[in-house]
Amino acid sequence: MKNKWLTWLVISLVLALALVACQPEVQQVEVTRLVQETVVEQVTRIVEGEEVVVEVTRVIEREVEPTAAPIPQGGFIIESSFADASQLNPILSADSASSDVNSKLYLGLVTIDEVTGEIIGEIADRWDVSDDGLIYTFYLRDDLLWSDGEPLTAEDVKFTYDAIASDLVETPRKSNIELVESMEVVDDYTLQVNFTDVDCTALNNFTLGVLPAHAFAEDFSDIMDSPENTAPSVTSGQFVFSEHQADSFVTLLSNPDYYKGAPNVEGWTYRIFADQSAELEAVLAGEIDVTGVGPQYVSVIESAIASGDPLEMKKFFDDGYTYIGFNMANPQNPQPGWEDLDEDGEFDPDEPPLEQEPHPVFSDPAVRKAISHAIDYTNIINRVVFGEGVQAVSNVLPAVEWAYDETLQPYPFDTALAAELLTEAGWEDTNGDGVREKDGQQLSFTLMTNAGNEVRENIAQIVKDTLESEELGFAVDLEIIEFGTVVENLLGQTYDAVIIGWIGLGSDPEDSNFWAYRNDSPGGGFNFVSYYNEEVEEKLNQARSLPGCDTGERGELYRDIQAQILEDAPYTFLYVPLGNVVWNTRLQGIDPQPWLTYYNVEEWYITP
Amino acid sequence: MIAYLIRRLLQAIPTLIGITVISFAIMQLAPGDPIQLLTFNPDMTEASRTKLRQQLCLDRPMPEQYLIWVLGDFRGECAMRGLIRGDFGTSFYDKRPVLEMIAERIPATLELSAVALAFGLLIGLPLGVSSAIRRGTWFDNASRFSAVVFDAIPSFWFGLILILIFSTRLGWLPVGGRAPLNVADPSLLDRLRHLAMPALVLGVGWLALFSRYMRAETLEVIGQDYVRTARAKGLTEWQVHVWYTARNALVPIATLLGPAIAGLISGAVVIERIFSWPGLGRLTFDAVVQRDYPIVMASVIVGSVLVIAGNLLSDFLYVIIDPRVRLE
Repeated sequence: MKNKWLTWLVISLVLALALVACQPEVQQVEVTRLVQETVVEQVTRIVEGEEVVVEVTRVIEREVEPTAAPIPQGGFIIESSFADASQLNPILSADSASSDVNSKLYLGLVTIDEVTGEIIGEIADRWDVSDDGLIYTFYLRDDLLWSDGEPLTAEDVKFTYDAIASDLVETPRKSNIELVESMEVVDDYTLQVNFTDVDCTALNNFTLGVLPAHAFAEDFSDIMDSPENTAPSVTSGQFVFSEHQADSFVTLLSNPDYYKGAPNVEGWTYRIFADQSAELEAVLAGEIDVTGVGPQYVSVIESAIASGDPLEMKKFFDDGYTYIGFNMANPQNPQPGWEDLDEDGEFDPDEPPLEQEPHPVFSDPAVRKAISHAIDYTNIINRVVFGEGVQAVSNVLPAVEWAYDETLQPYPFDTALAAELLTEAGWEDTNGDGVREKDGQQLSFTLMTNAGNEVRENIAQIVKDTLESEELGFAVDLEIIEFGTVVENLLGQTYDAVIIGWIGLGSDPEDSNFWAYRNDSPGGGFNFVSYYNEEVEEKLNQARSLPGCDTGERGELYRDIQAQILEDAPYTFLYVPLGNVVWNTRLQGIDPQPWLTYYNVEEWYITP
Repeated sequence: MIAYLIRRLLQAIPTLIGITVISFAIMQLAPGDPIQLLTFNPDMTEASRTKLRQQLCLDRPMPEQYLIWVLGDFRGECAMRGLIRGDFGTSFYDKRPVLEMIAERIPATLELSAVALAFGLLIGLPLGVSSAIRRGTWFDNASRFSAVVFDAIPSFWFGLILILIFSTRLGWLPVGGRAPLNVADPSLLDRLRHLAMPALVLGVGWLALFSRYMRAETLEVIGQDYVRTARAKGLTEWQVHVWYTARNALVPIATLLGPAIAGLISGAVVIERIFSWPGLGRLTFDAVVQRDYPIVMASVIVGSVLVIAGNLLSDFLYVIIDPRVRLE
């Protein structure tokens, strides 16, 4: 038997060698740039003592640059999405699907750099800032056209921001112009913006798409219900609107007047899926050109790439984080964060912070810190988001490098330390029921999150299992409820703790919406954890209105703020998710960057 | 028959009113505030929220909101002309007339439901008769077993498995959508390719149910005297089953049509999500999640009308199938 195997082995080896020998030799062919050319030259010759001009034919060699193959034109880029883009007016849209489409239809006064996230010009070529930081003068490009051939001027920019300010327009974008006193058109291509106070986020607020003034009523009366909001006829971006079939697709066509040149593709289609699994199958079936997939599907895409599927993937940190938020005020009696001296129900700048009734459990910082120590972040990131994230430390994102404190250490996972903190703070299980108490209050709370979000549901289960261990002695009730109810409880401040996340925080770390006492307003404010720290409040205000807006100085302030917020632990910061862009390799020219994917879409092309 | 139809339609009016009152109350009593959901954005000011609430009349008491929805806002503060004037309201999110949004989607849902129903009937009924005739054979056992399996399969799972096989692996059928993208005038074949999987998934449960009912009913009538008489007359087996067995067995099946239409419309909610089918089911599902009351109420009305129409259709089919029955 042994001999038989040996014989087969020898025969196989001989055959293999013979096959290799029969392979034609692969020759390296050098691509030459030399071409031969026949030229006729006039040469002066001396014939019989006289100069005579004669024509001589010669073959010469000269070096030429090879002509590049023409870039294929036409075809549609198909991108998939979960949500329909229903609002195609950039000053009214607030959802990411609509904003995604609008970014391809309209230019902004400024935009963000795809790599660094810094503000760079788009309609504005450059700008000056007055010494006191209150006047911005924008100098606009003079070569921009609307898709109907009209020039895009400073009047359009002024119209857009005046519309936002108008009483006839209801939009979340009003906060973009909170500190804008007025806008003046100096000439067609110069715009002056006057601020009431220094606003270091001012430029970020001008990334919104600019509307064509001539497509709307001068008095803004049709802004809210114009047909332009669902089927825009005049645009300025890489594409123009073509068709929208609700819950099915949005199709845009290449804009021949786009200032960087018309895109190579014929158009772009936003295909809407309602089910993530079906969307993944469409990607694998080659029906989608570009998309992003959830963390649970990243390994499927990676396997497909490894097995030769024509896909590529690039990962970036998202501009957001997932956290556990603690209500530090009494949920039985939600109160605003300020003393309503004039009893008008609204915050006035001279109204001081109010010391609210405390939450029976979470008003104790030791409890919040103990929870932050009790969470096994690595386990959650690996098991729940399949490794597609990193532990978040505090409220500033790592992507905002100038403000992020790299030296800040997150709460280490240490359940013994967590238990010790609780014991030191007086939380002890005196009656042997497995749950700690202090002054008659049990260490129990309800942890709420939205049903249907598997990641958050799984985190909630892990947190409950961890905290209810004998060592830690919490009692946790899970409330996995529909998103609308979560929002009602959250904004109403009638909850104990919540697992939720922020997305789209952008490239500026200004986030006083979450921490300032003026935003602690039951029913609507986003400081729904009722956080107040005088030092943080002051530094947030300083960082927002620092004269000159120097990122070095602002960075210092934000580093202090994030250290203090980490110390106060109003949130247990869980992780910063890793987002991704997946694309089919028939799409060429695409080069996604951390902040933008479509910045160079006019260069993309589809290979036949 | 016309008098019967008019009477039934008049009877449907209080039913519809009852349905709308109950639906409106359930929706309003459920936790979740549409304004908070609509403005779940840190940049939205409190003043904007209040104004929006006033504009949508959501600051009024619930009974008043219902009356405004039905009769319109006489104070003219919230631009509602009322259902009685044919105004179903405007979507909180899309800011478009609800009737327009529903009208855009109804053809897709009807197309899907009609094909699924036809598929269920055209295969399910002959299958049931064949099983009954071949009672106890391998064919009968196989069809009964399949009926139980297909009746029990969750549609979202079955849908994804079909996508995996026919789209991802074989590449024969598109993953979803109603027609190919960026094709101006899709051919019938293209449309059928898009319709095949969703209609199969939606119809297969009804196919199973129809075949089981038909088998049971056929077994009931197959031993009747008139069947024996038909054979004695010298009719072929084929004629006996088509004209005597199947026709009599069909009578109870007609009563299933009303619930079947309701079931198909509600089943479409899941199917339309999996196959990205742009129909009423998806619109309603999203509206419920977003608390877009005008869309939810309009969908309830459309659904109710379809169910009432389905039941009416059952009644008329009863008469056609069984001449002894009279509508009175």
